[in-house]
Amino acid sequence: MNGLKKLSRAILPLMFGIAVLGVWEVLVRVYDVPPYVLPGPSAIVLALWQSGGELLQALLVTLEVTIAALVLAAITGAGIAFLLAQSKLAEKTLFPYAVFLQVTPIVTIAPFIIIWVDNTYIVLLILAWIAAVFPIISNTLLGLKSADANLRELFRLYGASRGQTLLRLLAPSALPYFLGGLRISGGLALIGTVVAEMVAGTSGTRSGLASRLLEASYRLELARALACFALLSAAGFALYISLDALSRRLLRHWHESASTLETE
Amino acid sequence: MSGEDAPPAVALRAVSKTFPNGTTALSSIDLTISAGSFTSLVGPSGCGKSTLLRVIAGLIPPTAGTVAWSKAARSLSMGFVFQDATLMPWATAAENVALPLRLANLPESDITARVSEALERVGLADFTQAYPRELSGGMKMRVSIARATVTGPELLLMDEPFAALDEFTRFKLNEDLLALWQRNRWTVAFVTHSIREAVFLSERVVVMSPHPGRIVADLAVALPGQRDAALRLGHAFADECARVTQSLGDAFSQRAAS
Repeated sequence: MNGLKKLSRAILPLMFGIAVLGVWEVLVRVYDVPPYVLPGPSAIVLALWQSGGELLQALLVTLEVTIAALVLAAITGAGIAFLLAQSKLAEKTLFPYAVFLQVTPIVTIAPFIIIWVDNTYIVLLILAWIAAVFPIISNTLLGLKSADANLRELFRLYGASRGQTLLRLLAPSALPYFLGGLRISGGLALIGTVVAEMVAGTSGTRSGLASRLLEASYRLELARALACFALLSAAGFALYISLDALSRRLLRHWHESASTLETE
Repeated sequence: MSGEDAPPAVALRAVSKTFPNGTTALSSIDLTISAGSFTSLVGPSGCGKSTLLRVIAGLIPPTAGTVAWSKAARSLSMGFVFQDATLMPWATAAENVALPLRLANLPESDITARVSEALERVGLADFTQAYPRELSGGMKMRVSIARATVTGPELLLMDEPFAALDEFTRFKLNEDLLALWQRNRWTVAFVTHSIREAVFLSERVVVMSPHPGRIVADLAVALPGQRDAALRLGHAFADECARVTQSLGDAFSQRAAS
């Protein structure tokens, strides 16, 4: 029953996608659109098939940076949030700078980082980190502050130390918020990596999928560029699904967002 | 008054509490609670009974006056039950009950034994691994009571613990709490706005009035020490409720006249 429901939920968007691709293919063929303007889906699939190995390797490079930046953002973001939660003064003083980091377009920071840092990998990592860290800081901070007031009193009554309160009350209270931030940051880390690759202009075997996309578009190999695009989108989607699954798994026993009552 | 000879578990002398916003929640409260007694604090909303309970718990300091507890080692000698169960949603019933013991860094073997004993006492032996959201309101409150009593508290403070429950559950929990108290003789301070609940449970009813919060009556409940559910059906209970209500009314009208 549950499997069937899931299937039926996947069928509608799938059919819609196939229909759009079909219309696209037919229009390209009927109007004889040249492939350097708009290739049909079949040409993109062909490009994907022909240089699949090479593109997958580039995808791995991009994903490696994305995931490293995300892990880094998760650790430092949660750490910064814990520090800011320690004192109102620290939060008031420093939080505006976190906002500053968030609202500044990543492309405008990139040239400076490229000048100051030699290693391209580190450049990509820094830029993707900047793009990803804010939702984690702001969500975790909100979570830390929303711990139940009565539970706080209870911890005080039993003379809990700062460490005990952090570990047993604040961290679990903040976990759903942190995971919410992480889901947003996953996509942002990928965007950050892609933008950084395009600006930093990686090349050679260490070049990621976004560089390949740019290269292909310069050469008007649009089928190949669109194949890169499709792979990047799929990777972003897979990243979101994985983080969502992680969140559900960690919260399945207790949080409304991961309610299992529906499937029981 | 019951238990005059018993040593006090907690004694308040001329305690006042004024909040930073200027509200006077408590005004010169004198209250001594004897060890092993069951005392109810009743009064209308806003009379400061919850504030008084928190002052007794040491959670908020009084603005004036003194609070003296019988034991120096306070951290493990108090239990607090809030109006809602206030459980950690991410932890099982057993883990919730274990909290006070874990915070006191007790050895694991000791914790396991005491937790299962406490859960058994409140009739939840089969639900140790259940998460709060899998439990009914009454069961959550039972977990909360198990957590408050797992330390063998010197003083059990309860802040309208059954106010949010339906009457059937409330009656059942009243009876079970009564049985637990008669067996274990914890010192209980119980805040409620139900006179019937106060009379049913306690040996002593302290009546408070608002603006500012003060004690206007202090009544001994003239019912046998050994009680059970059948008590509710008898005339003695109805008469006692009427008597308390009467003296409550007298106290309030005297205040209004003065």
